[in-house]
Amino acid sequence: MKVEARKTAKYLRDKQGVPEKAKEELKEYNRIKKAITGALKDEELTIAQLSEKLQMPKPEVTYYLLSLVKYGIVAIGEIDDMDEYYSYKLVK
Amino acid sequence: MKEPKIIEYDALVIGAGIAGGETALNLANTGYKVLLVEKDHSLGGKMILLSKVFPTLDCAACITTPKVSEIARHKNITVFTESEVTNISKESANNFVAQITKKPRYVHVDDCTACQLCEQACPVSVQDEYQYGLIGRKAAYIPFSIANPKAAVIDIENCTLCGACERVCPTQCIDFTMETEYYELHTKTVVLATGFTLFDPIEIPRYGYGRYKNVITSMQMEREIAPTRPYNTILRPGDGKVPDRIAYVLCAGSRDNTVGNPNCSQICCMYSIKQAQLLMGALPMADITIYYINIRSFGKGFEEFYQQAKSMGVEFVKGKIGEITEKDNGDLILRYEDINEGVVKEAEHDMAVLSVGVRSNPTIGKIFNNGALKFDPLNFVAQEDLMGSPSKTSIKGVFVAGTATGPMDIPDSILSAGSAASEAISYLTQHQEV
Repeated sequence: MKVEARKTAKYLRDKQGVPEKAKEELKEYNRIKKAITGALKDEELTIAQLSEKLQMPKPEVTYYLLSLVKYGIVAIGEIDDMDEYYSYKLVK
Repeated sequence: MKEPKIIEYDALVIGAGIAGGETALNLANTGYKVLLVEKDHSLGGKMILLSKVFPTLDCAACITTPKVSEIARHKNITVFTESEVTNISKESANNFVAQITKKPRYVHVDDCTACQLCEQACPVSVQDEYQYGLIGRKAAYIPFSIANPKAAVIDIENCTLCGACERVCPTQCIDFTMETEYYELHTKTVVLATGFTLFDPIEIPRYGYGRYKNVITSMQMEREIAPTRPYNTILRPGDGKVPDRIAYVLCAGSRDNTVGNPNCSQICCMYSIKQAQLLMGALPMADITIYYINIRSFGKGFEEFYQQAKSMGVEFVKGKIGEITEKDNGDLILRYEDINEGVVKEAEHDMAVLSVGVRSNPTIGKIFNNGALKFDPLNFVAQEDLMGSPSKTSIKGVFVAGTATGPMDIPDSILSAGSAASEAISYLTQHQEV
């Protein structure tokens, strides 16, 4: 069967559907992304400050925040006076 | 299942890590047609993901990338990535029949320019296995920046099939209609270069791996110090702190009967010393402590490398770690037996790196009919004539290269690959059809 280019995802979606796990994970990622970017809207924050503000465990904040750095959504700010913790800011 | 396509090559090499790649190159340079089968998305195995190599501290990527490039471009080598050999039967002395399954990448590699526009458009984020879970990656992604082939791949298990990737692809190389392909290969010889697996320290709960995020494996640290690292600098995954006191726990999963591996993994002492030296360069103010049972610096230049680490200020403590616990601030308490003094002590560190050992790769075990391929007690491929012809296996015409036979470092893997290629060439010559 010939499928039009750029429309092949629809072909597979119609054929086998989208895995529930993938949908759930996307929902979870979007929720956390929204929370982190929302928290960084007005100020630069460290991971500890973000964790407190979002009531989210630090390891989880670290993982998602640094993923957002990789994706170019968040940028790395200054390091504190003790050279221990960086702050993070939104890419404008 | 579709009818398999019938293909024919002089030699089949399974595994495209450094040993498999070297074997394929040696065979191909002698004029033999080689099919190189790799289950992953890139050539280069584990070595291509390393930062530097010991004891020379040469850049691992600088050694690996020209080699994988040569393999990929060689006219006598055909590479199958995303592929697995599911069965091999020996029909006669120079006729092995192998069944190969090639999974779809959903990207036409030859058309992909690695522009990463698909990656930017993809809304999904999942753990990046090439960064050992330290960071996320998209479902449409380039495996890593020096991957070969350097082309996108679609992680179909995590893809929501939204189509954003194919809409932005300038070359229309993304194709979700791709399907699994099946091949029946007829070949005259087989070389196994299936490598090793790393010990999963979750099997030793007292080290806290998985529970305490600042306890990481040596491969995770390897990624943190590599040029293609996940973070901007060395950070602990628990809270993003730049660590100041880093501990190495040697023999994590090696020389330990309780986890079924009494053997020394041969590489852990030296890669830990290498990482310690690199960390001292990246974090000049940090204290690095290596807890060891014995330092086995047996290879060429190894002892000098060890002494160099000592002189740089790396602290070596002859001690066996009993337990790691975590404080509220994420710092770690390492409880250990000081072997020299015969007393139990505790030390506080920001981060602990478990120098995980080498285990056999179980995937090769079931592909030969009738269990004809023999294994040693630790499930590495048995060498029929260890002293005389270490590449020979229990099946005539099937050879083994690299760490599929047991733990070894990179130079030894390359030597072993040379030996396997020589044996395979000799076999091909002896069994030439007249």
